[in-house]
Amino acid sequence: MMVLKINGEDKEFAGVLPATMKELLGVLKVDEATVVAEIDGQIIRKDNFGGTKLTAGQKIELIRLVGGG
Amino acid sequence: MSDKLIIAGREFASRLFIGTGKFASNKIMAEAIEASGAEMVTVALRRVDIDNPDDDMLSAIDRKKYLLLPNTSGARNADEAVRLARLARAATGIEWLKLEVTPDPYYLLPDPVETLKAAEILVKEGFVVLPYINADAVLAKRLQDAGCATVMPLASPIGSNQGLKTKASLEIIISQARVPVVIDAGLGAPSHASEAMEMGADAVLVNTAIAAAKEPVKMAAAFRKAVEAGREAFEAGKADVKQQADASSPLTGFLRD
Repeated sequence: MMVLKINGEDKEFAGVLPATMKELLGVLKVDEATVVAEIDGQIIRKDNFGGTKLTAGQKIELIRLVGGG
Repeated sequence: MSDKLIIAGREFASRLFIGTGKFASNKIMAEAIEASGAEMVTVALRRVDIDNPDDDMLSAIDRKKYLLLPNTSGARNADEAVRLARLARAATGIEWLKLEVTPDPYYLLPDPVETLKAAEILVKEGFVVLPYINADAVLAKRLQDAGCATVMPLASPIGSNQGLKTKASLEIIISQARVPVVIDAGLGAPSHASEAMEMGADAVLVNTAIAAAKEPVKMAAAFRKAVEAGREAFEAGKADVKQQADASSPLTGFLRD
């Protein structure tokens, strides 16, 4: 079983891990236009989602804008 | 006196900034922003809810019309604020930032030491930093000297609606600051906002008082008028306060000899 820690929770992927950040967002049904991503504390540029490879065990943060004062 | 507010070279016709938290729906939020006349709206950053990934408030805000001001709410120290700031820039592509560092969950009062530390780092990284601070004139000066674009002292604790509890200290900041002073937090009624503007504040930031009103859109319009009235009164120059009456009508009597 392959595991990514996404937003603090372990997410298991049976069989194949999404190959890239872009693929992961597709699997999670998260609109990539509205999200900012970090892998192990490093910000991934939006235009590089397709080129960012994922490996098991990484800590991924998916952040977006919400209402706030 | 110029009626335009200029922050970091950008001109604002409206001196009311709006926060986007606590609205019952994106639709009401969008209508309230429109009614307020605001040109700058604050937003926060949070983790995407993986189980509910469609919840996107940004689509309700016309980014051609409104400048987004991401905040660092949730940061408890300088490191967390700097991290949130970088994420905000990556998310929005804009460098404007409301810097807030609030380690105390009960009153949400800002940490002056960590705020200054974060501001120094973020200014060097090219951010336009608008720091949320307690009403401390010395801190305001330190942040101004560090290159912040404004200072944003609180009127009273965030979301408390208590109004201008820090009035005397705000007056000192306004009299000394060389950057725009935006009164942020605690303004609970249009009269509070108007008074802040009459005192000479350059702008006010309001969220809860509008979002939590029974009719947020109507309240947004009320704040708009109050801010305009307060600003006009400031520009007009208030008449002096006196101890005794000073007759408004001529005292040259004709009823008696």
